[in-house]
Amino acid sequence: MAEREARTPEPITRLIEAFNRLPGIGPKSAQRLAYYVLRAPAAEAEGLAAALRDVKTRIQFCQTCLNITEGERCSYCSDPRRDQTVVCVVEEPLDILAIERTASFRGLYHVLHGVLNPMDGIGPDEIRIRELVERLKDGTVTEIIMATNQSLEGEATAMYIQRLVGPAGVRVTRLARGLPSGADLEYTDDLTLARALEGRQEI
Amino acid sequence: MTDRPRAYKTEGVILRRRNIGEADTIFTVFSASLGKFDAIARGVRKARSHMRGHLEPLTRSRLMLARGRSLDVFTQAETIDPYRHLHEDLEQSALGVYCCELIDRFGAENMEQEDVYLLLVDTLAAIDGGAPGHIARYFEVQLLALTGYALRLHGCALCNARLPEEDTLISAPAGGLVCIACRARAGTGRIISVRAVKVLRFASSTTLERFAALRIDPDTEHEVALAIGESLRTALDRDPASARYLEQVRRLTPAAERPMNAEPERLEPADSI
Repeated sequence: MAEREARTPEPITRLIEAFNRLPGIGPKSAQRLAYYVLRAPAAEAEGLAAALRDVKTRIQFCQTCLNITEGERCSYCSDPRRDQTVVCVVEEPLDILAIERTASFRGLYHVLHGVLNPMDGIGPDEIRIRELVERLKDGTVTEIIMATNQSLEGEATAMYIQRLVGPAGVRVTRLARGLPSGADLEYTDDLTLARALEGRQEI
Repeated sequence: MTDRPRAYKTEGVILRRRNIGEADTIFTVFSASLGKFDAIARGVRKARSHMRGHLEPLTRSRLMLARGRSLDVFTQAETIDPYRHLHEDLEQSALGVYCCELIDRFGAENMEQEDVYLLLVDTLAAIDGGAPGHIARYFEVQLLALTGYALRLHGCALCNARLPEEDTLISAPAGGLVCIACRARAGTGRIISVRAVKVLRFASSTTLERFAALRIDPDTEHEVALAIGESLRTALDRDPASARYLEQVRRLTPAAERPMNAEPERLEPADSI
């Protein structure tokens, strides 16, 4: 008996497989996306292909802060009006956007591209700590602000970097910890509430 | 059909997390009554989540869960002990992570392991209270014993012969100390000093408080750590990932801050080595 087999043309199978590899996309969603692209106007599909190609060929890491950029240095590092003595250390490039939205920081950045997570084998050598240490050597930077997330991993990363660069005379500060706006005291965890009490300010 | 209740309560220590989608996280919990289990917290990464701080890894929390189709869902969480000092000190948090990783690897899923749970919460509380780094050796020896990998430390692991008080082979495949006559069939192993043997025996028989109060010189502790490390590797088929990090953190610490080496004190008399 002949084998019954649903045959999909090879280019579509390839596209489905490619979508399926994306995070959060299962086989069904991958099929739906592939058939959407198939039916979409040629220009739209070309645009997607070009965007994918460009992001891999034109985007690189800033030579100074490892932020993502089109040139050799990112827009923050190449802006002479920014304070060159303060560096804000973040986990991911997206964190820079969050801090920029506040319009409260005019210094430079350093992107670690991760956070210490020893259980998953992410140690100090797996994230961009070495580049930060190198950058501090010429003495221009006098303060680094640890803006890693307030999680076990983020705290450990901040403490690790403090221990590493503190002895060199660089001032290491940490973002204040406490209650987010809209927080409900009743549901706040003990650690956050204790820190909020300690960090209270006169009004 | 089992008639399990739709919602249930337990208490446990959060071991690790895995982010899913926009705002959900799967947490691995080790609980006294249920052993190790995974459950999902929906929306927990949003700033206004009520459960966020209570589900931080290395936190002991009271939990309420609802049965889900594949994964149970956290509905409430409340901190019992945030282990604050542990979270705010680099070495202590590294030690805590190491203990949690061992529990994650050795802990049986959905099976009551109250003795292992008590070992974990007592050890985390001790680390939080500033216990020295060698507390990890106590934790390792006790955990191996509670999970069925107890080291034979009195008599030869292979022939049960009495061991003279001298440097002895310890072999992970054999499961403990090995006499000279049995060395050839013990597989791999390492020779450890009488002092290291005494530390191992003390760790297997004493209380956490007494072991924490023990002063061990760094060389002996290193010897003990290597010996137990091989047993852990044999039992797990791999090295715990956070062991390397713990070592990196220790190397960062200025030597002056580390406890000075001293003669081992208060070791139990070695009645039958």
